[in-house]
Amino acid sequence: MTGFRIANGGLIDRSTNLTFKFDGKSFKGHQGDTLASALIASGVHLMGRSFKYHRPRGVISAGASEPNALVELREGPRKEANTRATMVELYDGLIATSQNRWPSLENDFLAINSLASSIFVAGFYYKTFMWPKTFWEKIYEPLIRKAAGLGTASKEADPDTYEKSYAHCDLLVIGSGPSGLMAARTAARSGARVILADEGSALGGSLLFENEEIDGTNGLSFAQTIIAELASLPNVTLMPRTTIFGWFDGNIFGGLERVNDHVAVPPAFEPRQRYWRIHAKRAVLAAGAEERPLVFGGNDVPGVMLASAMRHYANRYGAAAGKSIAVFTNNNSARRTVGDMKDHGINIAAVIDTRKNGKIINVKGGKGVKSIDLSDGSHFECDAVAMSGGWSPIVNLMCHRGAKPIWNEIIAAFMPPDVGPQFRAIGSASGKMLLSECLNSGIVAGTLKGKTPPTPKCKDEAFAIQPFWWVKESTSKAFIDYQNDATAKDLPLANREGYGHVELAKRYTTTGMATDQGKLGNVNAIAILAEAAGKSISEMGTTTFRPMYTPVSFGAFAGPFTGHHFQPVRKTPLHDWAIEQGAVFVETGLWMRSSWFPKAGEDWLASASREVKATRAGVGLCDVSTLGKIDIQGKDAGAFLDKIYCNTFSTLAIGKARYGLMLREDGVVFDDGTTSRLADDHYLMTTTTANAARVMSHIEFCHQALWPELDVQYVSVTEQWAQMAIAGPKSRATLQKLVDGLTLNDETTPYLAAKDITILGGLTARLFRISFSGEHAYELAVPADHGNMVARAIMQAGQEFEIVPYGVEALSMMRIEKGHVAGGELNGTTTAGDLGLGKMMSTKKDFIGRMMATREGMVDPARQCVVGIRPVDRTMKIRSGGHLLKQSDRPSMANDQGYICSVAWSPMLDMWLGLALLSNGRARHGEVVKVFDGLRGHHYLAEICDPVHFDPENRRLHA
Amino acid sequence: MHRVSSLQTIAIQGRFGADKGAPGVTLSVVHPLAIAMVIARNGKSKALKDALASLKSVNVLWAGPDQYYVQSAAKSEAALYTELKTKLANIASVTDQSHGRITIRISGPKARAVLAKGTPIDLYTDEFPVGKSALTQMAHVGVHITRTGKDEFTLSVFRGFSESFWEWLTSQAAEFGYQVS
Amino acid sequence: MLIPCPHCGTRPVEEFTFLGDATVTRPTSLEPSSMDAWMDYVYLRDNPRGDYTEYVHHSGGCRAWLVVKRNTDTHEVDSAVATKTMKAKT
Repeated sequence: MTGFRIANGGLIDRSTNLTFKFDGKSFKGHQGDTLASALIASGVHLMGRSFKYHRPRGVISAGASEPNALVELREGPRKEANTRATMVELYDGLIATSQNRWPSLENDFLAINSLASSIFVAGFYYKTFMWPKTFWEKIYEPLIRKAAGLGTASKEADPDTYEKSYAHCDLLVIGSGPSGLMAARTAARSGARVILADEGSALGGSLLFENEEIDGTNGLSFAQTIIAELASLPNVTLMPRTTIFGWFDGNIFGGLERVNDHVAVPPAFEPRQRYWRIHAKRAVLAAGAEERPLVFGGNDVPGVMLASAMRHYANRYGAAAGKSIAVFTNNNSARRTVGDMKDHGINIAAVIDTRKNGKIINVKGGKGVKSIDLSDGSHFECDAVAMSGGWSPIVNLMCHRGAKPIWNEIIAAFMPPDVGPQFRAIGSASGKMLLSECLNSGIVAGTLKGKTPPTPKCKDEAFAIQPFWWVKESTSKAFIDYQNDATAKDLPLANREGYGHVELAKRYTTTGMATDQGKLGNVNAIAILAEAAGKSISEMGTTTFRPMYTPVSFGAFAGPFTGHHFQPVRKTPLHDWAIEQGAVFVETGLWMRSSWFPKAGEDWLASASREVKATRAGVGLCDVSTLGKIDIQGKDAGAFLDKIYCNTFSTLAIGKARYGLMLREDGVVFDDGTTSRLADDHYLMTTTTANAARVMSHIEFCHQALWPELDVQYVSVTEQWAQMAIAGPKSRATLQKLVDGLTLNDETTPYLAAKDITILGGLTARLFRISFSGEHAYELAVPADHGNMVARAIMQAGQEFEIVPYGVEALSMMRIEKGHVAGGELNGTTTAGDLGLGKMMSTKKDFIGRMMATREGMVDPARQCVVGIRPVDRTMKIRSGGHLLKQSDRPSMANDQGYICSVAWSPMLDMWLGLALLSNGRARHGEVVKVFDGLRGHHYLAEICDPVHFDPENRRLHA
Repeated sequence: MHRVSSLQTIAIQGRFGADKGAPGVTLSVVHPLAIAMVIARNGKSKALKDALASLKSVNVLWAGPDQYYVQSAAKSEAALYTELKTKLANIASVTDQSHGRITIRISGPKARAVLAKGTPIDLYTDEFPVGKSALTQMAHVGVHITRTGKDEFTLSVFRGFSESFWEWLTSQAAEFGYQVS
Repeated sequence: MLIPCPHCGTRPVEEFTFLGDATVTRPTSLEPSSMDAWMDYVYLRDNPRGDYTEYVHHSGGCRAWLVVKRNTDTHEVDSAVATKTMKAKT
């Protein structure tokens, strides 16, 4: 545990001094550092505690696969849990806190779990906490959650913004190491649109830290020259700090760009992260290969790290992991670490190669490496151990759509599957272990047209490996999955207990289930499990690879669509007028509708009651612009409507409106509304607000898929017209003042008239004499831009009649008083007959739903049909949802007779009343039933009556 | 009569968002505008195309199979509707949509980058040349988009969504800085 | 998933709404004896693994109803044709 800053070299800016805090203690680092490299350079190896045993853990990797060095980054609302210190770019003022320890990282009481580890073997949750059953929820689970867990989430709202964006390219290059750069340059030079994405803060991949020689120069300057060229090309997009996290159908890739994670607070107007959807004609996976740990006792002691990570820290960040190191390997590549460390003046205490001179049995040390014991009995002092168990191509993305990787004996690794030409692996991600092969594979993949350019000359290092999976002689724990504390012994145990299938062993031992998803440990686990099961690695196979490659924040998925912007808001053309009138709005679907217009001191009920009374006494104005309006034209428009509606429209006179009822093909009522005939070949349909979009889709289906031979055209005009209901005995007198050159009376404008008029001296308008309130009423439609102006003019015209604006609450009261069915009754279970509209169904034509509506069950007299309902105690409030029973019956499913579907306070009748669905209801008017309200746990008596509670003779309508 | 756009009090002129020199995009509301939807009657696809090609001083924009928006900033909505009704009699159905849709123009070097945050359509010039229109969705709102120049597009949405859409569009343009004119 | 709309070009699946089996044909008879055919048409659907032909509405685009042939197992989309054109040909 004696990491230090090497005197010179590396890609850090030593002229900058960045101050940061880890667990409250101040440290310094440089621009270009990661949190992990700055901590190592400061001599800190202990960065976290393990999940189960709370063992002290240090950083093991230098990249995205890090299982140990997880920290809570930042504080307050910007706090982010489980952040990999290896991926966090250092900035001035950075604050990080270790997690999963109590009270502190140095002294963790729960490390006692490690002493009791014999009971914490794989599957221990299932075995230990089974009994008594009642203990689980109250005792075991809270305890386990306290002891085992990672970072904590901030409970404050995230103050930053997130974005989504689409991108398109001919070639997406994932990874910017030697092969990725070659692919990008080759494709870019041929004019292709190229996106080069890399999860790192800088492009260059392994060339940022490996000593290579290419084209007569060092690897780094070779990379920088290419990156500069790519940056200058208009057809190339460079995306550093962007993780391609998933591969999806259609060769679409998900990407997460960490736009401003490397600063404390994003600059104004910039998002923290951006979620990309990249549509790539072709893509290449140049993600490189992951070095594997070796499995031996104490392979988790802080200071034990991957050999490549050790040279990554030293070469790129000038951060030495120790003063005297041991190297443990089963392959050639760790020789680089030996050479590089020597160059940095670091002592090599021992080089242990399983192919030559034995194994490390145990690492000694608690919070840092002190010494190692070898299989030959020798013993070396050292303060860090570099290990290399071979290389695994990072195949994840290529397996996201179900293909499985293929085991290769020569390099002892899973190779990416062949998933077709649109997505190919290149470089070490495809198992190429020589630099020249990597460069060449990139050039070949980047050649989208023309001749393949020559491959730059480079120096290769021969690669050879002899698989070695587990030092069984180890006496201390040998870890497979660091984060979840799965040890080598857990896998044979899983096999013995019947969980030998790779997917079962994963769940039984939790190997590969942590936030790192087994990036380092899975291949070791599969090999050990295969041996225990007496199978080959190839037979054992891998677990399933799924997106996301690394964790993606919820914020990025949500993008800008949060809070007020969760869904779009739709406003009517009368919105400003409604605000002037003091409207309280209600969300109806996406629409904002005026719900009631309270005067000082009024609650919703007082306001809506006053609106009803004033409308029924004089005149009221209601915004009904949200009703769906569909313009239907064409020679066969009438014939088409006859198919859509259960009643007939081809016979409707020009200039008249008719109530229409639409069924679904299964015979259930779908929607209703008033449809007018404006000309011989021109109708205007209205739909309910709720079903407007569904009706439009239905019309499109019926025409395009069922009857395309009909000459009919349709388009939504919902938004073109501001529509107002003007209702009440003074509605005619009010409107008369606006209308140009037309005397409104029963001759010119009879009930159900629909006509084009002009108002206010030439403004186009449509006038319909229709009523939902039961009053003498009109609906007036004007082009939307004039809506507010016309509404104000009507209010002025109606002033002498004490006109009121009324909202959907008053509208609902009036429709229930009149027994008009609406959403509560058109609820997807009712037939036309149930609604009392059975006679509307034509018997002279085919229409959607006709046949199915004739089924026995659909015409059964015992069906529940719409009735009116009132409490016997007229002072009582009733609510919808209550079930209807015969007076003598107990509440049960068998005794259920129906339920209340709509209720309202009736200002006119001075009581609560409603509409209900009641079995054989039309024959039961006058009967007193029991209403059982299970939700509120009470029951009461109610009288069944005709649904039309108010003005049953419809005198007001025709007044 | 004076038409009042749904963005009249929302789209306030000025310079907004990040200040990085010249604005990344310029936004403006194209209003008033006369718009008619014309849809070919059965078997009249070609006749409609020909008839539309002969129209003068209007913009004809593709708006779906055998459907077009015919637009004019100079003509009144009544004049355009009447003219089309007459000229396209028995060829197409004509519906006035002048008030039902709000058209926003977006131009500038970052126009494509802003729109990429909303539409899955590839707006690269080779794929989406000047004059091309498409129907898509941005920020959960149906949008009719037309390229009117190298770095210039018009977006047309249902009037009722215009305020919500404007809020989204301006928030996405903010990082580049935008001018409302 | 991407669907090649014949009018709009290739678009992502979120712009579309699925309705189900497009190989069923709406019966024309209104005789009570045809009820079985109607029941099949309205209710009975296969749920195949593999090739599937279904109605898809480009609800977030040109609003055309399409018949899309796709593989429910591999998610490969074979073709997308407007219902209007299909019916015109037959």
